[in-house]
Amino acid sequence: MTADFVALLATWCIATLRGATPLIFATLGETLTQRVGIINLGVEGEMLTGACVGFAVGVATGNPWLGLMAGALAGGALSLLHAGLVLGAGANQIGSGLAVWMIALGGTSFFGRALVGNQVTPLPNLGSSLTDGIPFVGTVMAQATMAVPLAILAVAFVAWWLAQTRPGLRWKAVGESARIAAENGIQATRVRVTAIVVGGLLAGFGGAVLSVDYTQTWAQEMTKGRGLVAVGLVIVARWKPALVLPVCLLFGLAEVSVLRVQSAGYEFSPHLLGTFPYLVVLVVLVLSQIFARRASAMPADLKAVFA
Amino acid sequence: MTMGDMLARFEKVTRHFGDLVAVDSASLEIRSGEVLAVLGENGAGKSTLMKLLYGVYPPTSGKIVVKDCPDGISGPAEALRQGIGMVFQHFSQLPALSVRDNLLLAWPKTPFWKSRRNRATGDVLAKLRELAPAIAPDTIVHDLSVGEQQIVELVKVLNIQARIVILDEPTSVLTPAETGRLHGFIRQLAAEGVAVVLITHKLRDVEACADRVAVMRRGAIVDVSRRGERSMEEIVTLMMGKTVDGNLPSPQPVQNPVDRLVLKNVSAEASGSQLRDVTLAVGRGEVVGVAGVAGNGQTLLAEVVAGIRPVTQGEVLLDGERIARREPGETLSTRLGYIPEQPRENATVEQLSLAENLALRDLAAGNRPGETSGELLQEFSVNPPIPAKPAGTLSGGNLQKLVCARELGTARPAILACYPTMGLDLAAIEMVYEHIFAQAAAGAAVLWISEDLDDLLAAAHRIAVIREGAIVAVEKNDGTLTRDRIGALMAGMPVQSEAA
Amino acid sequence: MSLVMRFPVFAVTVTALCFLFFAAAFFAALGKPPFAMLYSLVVYAVGDAYSVSQTFAKTTPILLCALAIAVPGRLGLISVGAEGQLHAGAIFGTGIVLMAPGLPGGVLIPLMLTVAAIGGGLYGWIPGILRARLDVNETIVTLLMNYVSVLLVSALVFGPWRDPASQGWPATVKFPEGAVLPAVPDTRIHLGLLLGILLAVGLHIFLNHGKWAQKIRILEGNRKVGEMFGLSYAFWVIALMSAGGAIAGTAGIAEVSAIQGRLQPTISLGYGLTGFLVAWLARHQPLVILPVSLFVGALVAGSDALQLFAKVPAASAVIMQGLLFATALAVPGLLARWRAYRDR
Repeated sequence: MTADFVALLATWCIATLRGATPLIFATLGETLTQRVGIINLGVEGEMLTGACVGFAVGVATGNPWLGLMAGALAGGALSLLHAGLVLGAGANQIGSGLAVWMIALGGTSFFGRALVGNQVTPLPNLGSSLTDGIPFVGTVMAQATMAVPLAILAVAFVAWWLAQTRPGLRWKAVGESARIAAENGIQATRVRVTAIVVGGLLAGFGGAVLSVDYTQTWAQEMTKGRGLVAVGLVIVARWKPALVLPVCLLFGLAEVSVLRVQSAGYEFSPHLLGTFPYLVVLVVLVLSQIFARRASAMPADLKAVFA
Repeated sequence: MTMGDMLARFEKVTRHFGDLVAVDSASLEIRSGEVLAVLGENGAGKSTLMKLLYGVYPPTSGKIVVKDCPDGISGPAEALRQGIGMVFQHFSQLPALSVRDNLLLAWPKTPFWKSRRNRATGDVLAKLRELAPAIAPDTIVHDLSVGEQQIVELVKVLNIQARIVILDEPTSVLTPAETGRLHGFIRQLAAEGVAVVLITHKLRDVEACADRVAVMRRGAIVDVSRRGERSMEEIVTLMMGKTVDGNLPSPQPVQNPVDRLVLKNVSAEASGSQLRDVTLAVGRGEVVGVAGVAGNGQTLLAEVVAGIRPVTQGEVLLDGERIARREPGETLSTRLGYIPEQPRENATVEQLSLAENLALRDLAAGNRPGETSGELLQEFSVNPPIPAKPAGTLSGGNLQKLVCARELGTARPAILACYPTMGLDLAAIEMVYEHIFAQAAAGAAVLWISEDLDDLLAAAHRIAVIREGAIVAVEKNDGTLTRDRIGALMAGMPVQSEAA
Repeated sequence: MSLVMRFPVFAVTVTALCFLFFAAAFFAALGKPPFAMLYSLVVYAVGDAYSVSQTFAKTTPILLCALAIAVPGRLGLISVGAEGQLHAGAIFGTGIVLMAPGLPGGVLIPLMLTVAAIGGGLYGWIPGILRARLDVNETIVTLLMNYVSVLLVSALVFGPWRDPASQGWPATVKFPEGAVLPAVPDTRIHLGLLLGILLAVGLHIFLNHGKWAQKIRILEGNRKVGEMFGLSYAFWVIALMSAGGAIAGTAGIAEVSAIQGRLQPTISLGYGLTGFLVAWLARHQPLVILPVSLFVGALVAGSDALQLFAKVPAASAVIMQGLLFATALAVPGLLARWRAYRDR
């Protein structure tokens, strides 16, 4: 293995990880939401809002971490609308998610106009003189930021929390049957609101990572459907937090391939190439449906939304 | 706490649901160390009464006093804290989770980190190991048999050190052997000082273990007596409100029946259930019952014969014509009269009116429906008999009567009934059976899947036993067939050979 | 008199009032005088002949997209794919025009419309068959496919279909006379609107009367029971998704042909999502979709003009729609809860 090959491999790995990171947060958040029996299509809007607010705060304060926090809070605040509509007013979940998305589209379009073209202080890279010399790891660290390990830790934590703790069990129960959960003394509505808000916080954080860390710019509708991809990936990951990481990496890989092909100078239309990641998700969604062994790992109460 | 202490008391408790009076001024005491049977037919209000104690909903008027609990029960969580446990008829379990998780969910002492190595979580399984060592704690509940699921439900309740245990119709899904075992548990619990409330419509349960019997009828408690104070006939009269001599018409023997409904080597598979090489023939005018422990393929059998699920092998013939579906894409409209369980999910369209539901075959075929709705509804006692009313507003029992009206209202070549009388009150059950057997008398082939061995023994010409998707025996019901023999076949136990 | 009987009218009125309140609040938040803005909005929507023409121009694609969502919606399918199907139809329709620009109008226009319908129909067929055969969720599939066809339009107009004469702006050549949908002179009220109205009436009859309507109602109510009596859910899923796609495809080519005059990346202003909103508000009833899409069309046209003349930001049309949708979602539920609380 030549040093060049290792470096190339490392670059691909870290690029994939970085591309997948915003999506990981959003998908993780939506997994939690769906595990309690709620579907939130507003993830797209929450990511967008997080990206916009995160960027704005990052620019204004010069501190990317404040930007990321602000983005998370903005996403969480927006998700309260979905929670209010669905749980407070008994509204249709699909419709509510789309309404939230619409409001976020308009809102970020409006507030974001002033942000276009601004510069944000990015997160520092993890590399240092200590690691630069090491093959593979050195390249990875040099291009990674804190967002990447945070994403991996988040996945690990949520997977552990859902499987091994008592509150995780209670959340799963609410997703399987709110009625039976109530019979066991769990306040289903409170759990659902919490899950929706956590989903919003994570989606907002993911959006902020997208604008502040990954692209370091703001553009209208910059999430380009990543939030909706997240909803699809939750299904591909069979609602298991641990699988969120590999499925998001798949999407990240697709995106990175597109970018590499473009920069390699091949004569492909960038728009045509741009369809590739979406097609990958669609294909994987269909395949996972064909090969799903258990008829459905979908939380039982979630099935009622689609019945 | 000595035996006989009052643990809970109902004082003139009433519960309304809109216009319906489900519980009417009931007064009753629950005492420790005693088995109290609450007896009544379906719809009498027994479950509702106990759900009031459990805190599922509050009484409309009256008071429920619980010892050592001055503020009353505000909800199931509070009931659990006060040591009141209820095993519901429809289990309160999450089929997608494991046995261990279901138990941990209901257990108040579950720690934050429910890892296996933690000693506290070991305690939750202690009672399970005691009652049913064969059940592995990590099994997914969906994969357990109904009897096993019931044991898990019971363990949930025992884990909270309940002082009052309420069992709602526990024996309707058990084999005779399992029923006997359950009766044993109940007596043992009472001996340990627990107050056991047994809600049932079966006299057999009362005879086996009740210390006191409270009879309910139309929401009211009409009588409370100690064991032995009343004869069974008196109790039945109190339950029905009139003397019932009541039984099913004895089967008219059928001479050399010509086969009408034939299953040949039928195999099928769907969502966890399977049928394996089923061969059975039902003759003209014959009533063939199918007995078995719930979850052994009965629903799949019904759906295959009704043409809903495809067969992977074999065929089903009605008067010589193929009626089973071979591929999922094929469409057939079933010619048999099919009466499934759970009419709301399986046999009616809630958004359509009663008249439209009656004419469903015609509507689906694109034809204009006929005009006889009103009389048909009256004949089958569907309440309210208003043809234009949306079907969704009817109760479960009335929906089943609607389905019967549609399926049994005209002569059919064959009738397929799958748990047709679950949840119906006695008058309705009588009516359904009357019509089914009338069809048989007129020449239809009747395939009747039921959980009630007494009904099957009373009225079927032959009884088939299904186990794990295969027919393990077909016995002639000629007077020598016993409950125990069927029970043994259902459970797969070796059958005692008849004394020569 | 009990509110129960007047509930639907009551709910609609309350929704409208709440929406007006939120709209006014929105303008106030922007620092503009709320009532003056609302008044201007109405004026810009229907105040003069030009405004009315603009309103109808906006109503047409919204109407068609709403019908495209409502058709599969009657079977209980939740398709959000009108946007993608619209673009697919636009691609196919433009393709035929570019291939045979010389054909006379009498032939080219029906041909163009048909091909566009086929294109949109194909784009609806894909999620339909995935749902029918593999039970893949159509909501996710249609949402993702939207992005694909929008990108394909860009790929085509930046690439092989680019008009060499248009300097910086990516677009095809201008459509020849024979390919432009006839319109009322000096207005933007074109054939598409007539098609939409006819479709709405036709769909009303098809979906509410007659034997097919009954079959769809049964399947929508209880699929198992429908299949027990010989109906095929799979058939209707595919048929209705494809039909919906075809209608949205027509919307796409109508925009290209009658309004834009060429295929370019900005043919749709989110009509697909707006169409979903309208279909949902109208409970998938074609005759109700007619006035609702007109209302929303007026809202969009008015907001557009407001943006130009009153310096209100461009995104306000989208925000207003979102507010309308959220209000319409919240009000019936809240009213029901209030009634239940009061009756306790």
